[in-house]
Amino acid sequence: MGEQYVLKVNGKEYALRTGGGQMLADVLRDELHLIGTKKGCCQGECGACTVILDGKAVNSCMIPVAKAVGADILTIEGLQTEDGLHPLQKAFIEEGAVQCGFCTPGMIMSAKALLDEEANPTSAQIQEALSGNICRCTGYVKIEKAVQKASEELRKEG
Amino acid sequence: MKRYISKNQKRSDALSKVTGEATYTHDIVVPGMLFAKVLRSPHAHARIRKLDVSKAAALPGVKAVATWENTPRKLFNSTGMMAFLYPGAKPAMDEYIFDQMVRHVGDEVAAVAATSEEIAAEAIRLIEVEYEPLPALLDPLDALEEDAILIHGDIQDNNIASGTHTIRQGDFEKGWAECDVTYEARVKLPIQKQAQLETHAAVAEYRNGELTVWSPTQSVHGTKYILAHIFDMSAGNIRVMNPPYVGGAFGVRVGFGGKAEGIVSCLSMLSGYPVKLVLTREEDFTVSDTRHSGYVDIKLGAKADGRFHAFGMNAYLNTGAYGTHGIEVAACLGNMATSTYRVPNIFFEGASIYTNIVPAGAFRGFGNPQAVFAVETAVDALAKKLDIDPVELRLKNRIRVNDEWPLSYPCSSTALDECIKQAAAKIGWSEKRGRAGQGRFRRGVGLGAGTHFCGYDELAHVSLELETDGSLSVFTGNSEIGTGHITSLQQITAESFGCEIEQVNIKYGDTRGTPYDVGCHSTRSVFAIGNAISMAAGELKEQVLQYAAGAMGCSAEALSIESGRVRGGPEEMDLGQLARDGHIHKTHFSAEGKSKEAVTVTPWEAHAAEVEVDTLTGMVKVLKVVAAHDVGVAINPQLVEGQIEGGVVIGIGYATREEMSINEKGEVYNSSYHTYMLPTFADTPEIEPVIVESYEPRGPYGAKGVGECGLVPTAAAIAAAVEDATGVRFLEIPLTPQRVLDGLQAACVTCQAEKEGGTIDVE
Repeated sequence: MGEQYVLKVNGKEYALRTGGGQMLADVLRDELHLIGTKKGCCQGECGACTVILDGKAVNSCMIPVAKAVGADILTIEGLQTEDGLHPLQKAFIEEGAVQCGFCTPGMIMSAKALLDEEANPTSAQIQEALSGNICRCTGYVKIEKAVQKASEELRKEG
Repeated sequence: MKRYISKNQKRSDALSKVTGEATYTHDIVVPGMLFAKVLRSPHAHARIRKLDVSKAAALPGVKAVATWENTPRKLFNSTGMMAFLYPGAKPAMDEYIFDQMVRHVGDEVAAVAATSEEIAAEAIRLIEVEYEPLPALLDPLDALEEDAILIHGDIQDNNIASGTHTIRQGDFEKGWAECDVTYEARVKLPIQKQAQLETHAAVAEYRNGELTVWSPTQSVHGTKYILAHIFDMSAGNIRVMNPPYVGGAFGVRVGFGGKAEGIVSCLSMLSGYPVKLVLTREEDFTVSDTRHSGYVDIKLGAKADGRFHAFGMNAYLNTGAYGTHGIEVAACLGNMATSTYRVPNIFFEGASIYTNIVPAGAFRGFGNPQAVFAVETAVDALAKKLDIDPVELRLKNRIRVNDEWPLSYPCSSTALDECIKQAAAKIGWSEKRGRAGQGRFRRGVGLGAGTHFCGYDELAHVSLELETDGSLSVFTGNSEIGTGHITSLQQITAESFGCEIEQVNIKYGDTRGTPYDVGCHSTRSVFAIGNAISMAAGELKEQVLQYAAGAMGCSAEALSIESGRVRGGPEEMDLGQLARDGHIHKTHFSAEGKSKEAVTVTPWEAHAAEVEVDTLTGMVKVLKVVAAHDVGVAINPQLVEGQIEGGVVIGIGYATREEMSINEKGEVYNSSYHTYMLPTFADTPEIEPVIVESYEPRGPYGAKGVGECGLVPTAAAIAAAVEDATGVRFLEIPLTPQRVLDGLQAACVTCQAEKEGGTIDVE
């Protein structure tokens, strides 16, 4: 049956019992039904599966679940609070940064990790931080605007 | 004053997409579901001599193994072309789900359904296959040789997929002889991949004689028909649906995507369980339709005053192992090549030619980027010979409304002149053109122009129903592939009917309960479905007002629907109350919209690019692209901009880096995002979308489409800018550093730069 382990996702603890070789993305999607984390390549090349692990944006398709035990994991489902949508989520809607939406959760998580580190990023910093997240629909233009807008909002909120 | 037209209404699907709630085919789980894996050919061309699946079938957990021996032997075309095609054309019927012959590396040999993906993968390894390798063709010109082997010898005696498309106007030969200046060239075009984020996938459940398929298809009704044909089922017993979201499409899913829908249907029928298949990224790259590569020969001649006089073109497209959209792409290439400029004498002949490589099919632009790259190369060359500014030459020769042209529909609106002028002005044409200088880094600007088509004379059909709470449901067989047009259609509905946009629910992406529709492609949805909705909403409004007038004892002319209420009578009436009241008085408010009158209309576009070329390394850096688009009236300008920006980046990729390479064995080298070099955030230059509004008299509220147009002239503009920077016109794309360096060296641009003291920095 495999060993029992505990995964801490979006502030909740989940006791799981599965084989040890699974990747975090598969556990999130198949065991916890957190399907907002998408799999576009399973090779760490597209960023659709990006989650935040102890403050860092990671490709969850490349993280064996054993390495995630004990870490604070944040997925797109954990971004909304009682106060409503995260400023990044609002900005993605407002700026028209969403098209097919398959890259959107990963894109937002990478942007969140950036804004947590750098409250007022330059255009170059946004481009670099999100260069591991592929989008085939938007041409990235409105995504950058959305991240800029969210950073302004977050700074206003202090 | 319009309430909802030309407004940046936020997308109705954005909230679920930013919260992670949005569901795609990858997310579908059906109780008792099995998982599939596919065994694929390692050979470009071979006959299967022996296929032994006994070990695989005996593996615990394996519930079904599908091969050519136990699946339908009915030829089909895996795209919607089987169901809808322009008049006179016939689809290439050349595919089986599994066949005894394999015709490209990656072609389907067998598939397994098992209780887990791991077991299915293990079972695939246990299948024993004996192949008889056959000679393979990789280049379409080789495939046209008289002694070429036949790739579909069992159904035809040549390698041309479903015929040749020809266009004639005037007398080309005579016209060509009359030209004062002429230019001719052959351009070579690469294989570009859609590379949408969600790989092809499908889930099928066959139960009680009914087949249900979840799929990211762009055409649920088209896919339903293909399945009905293959399995000899009554179409009414098949339901195809999007879940409802689709992780990008770009043409690669007009019908089946990588045959996933057919494979899971076979396996569900064989096993008795629901079956899910998700293709790997490598499979997606190597087995599903790409953009057509190939050769385009162009001849363009003009009179001394700059008027174009003769145009000749031959297109040899590489359609790979199966015809899919081949004939239509060749036809569209010809149609688009001959409809941007006035030319009295035209000859075009184009075909999609079988080879033993990954199939090519529909990809945003559908033959048009290839056409425009060739045409604009020739236009720039004539401008040089005539010593006329390329912008002026284009303005002089552009098509005008109701001009004679070879297409079956008229040019009913065009603001191409404005697109060209704005693109040129905003890139700084007059200051920057022809100022490259002599250093190592040289900058240049270039421009490309083109058109496209919205719809293709097909019917659009929707049904509308006033619900008992006064909301309005719109049923369409269209799909939302990411473009946001469903939101634009909500805007059109609310505007046409007079209700609040929150009262409009559009139900799409499901064959059940929606009228037949060809799907989301051909830049048609806002135009064609929008027209059908306008008609139906007008009729529904009439029904409601007549009924309300009767109920209130006043004249219907005095009444109107505003903000979801009937106003103007003795009392205000709530639409929900009217709907409920109507039911008990034997009146039901519903209407159908069939846009029978709708034809094809033409969007227009001009892109201007500025580039910097490193003459010592061959690196082309795109600094800026201005993309000016005549979209008619933009129903939702923010969505239109999004379409343009996204298109431009695919166009930049086509021009500078995206190219699937096939080795001599027919294997695809770049089968991942990384090796394919898909443009990332860091590769995106400044993009300035410019919406040039014209008014299309036949579109809903004056609208045309924009979807495919964003990438049509980008490569032509970039190649022109590189020529402006270096003096070298490249006839082959993408403009990778090696290709550019070779070209510059051949023209001795690099050696000049070296003489002037430049050095190559190697890091």
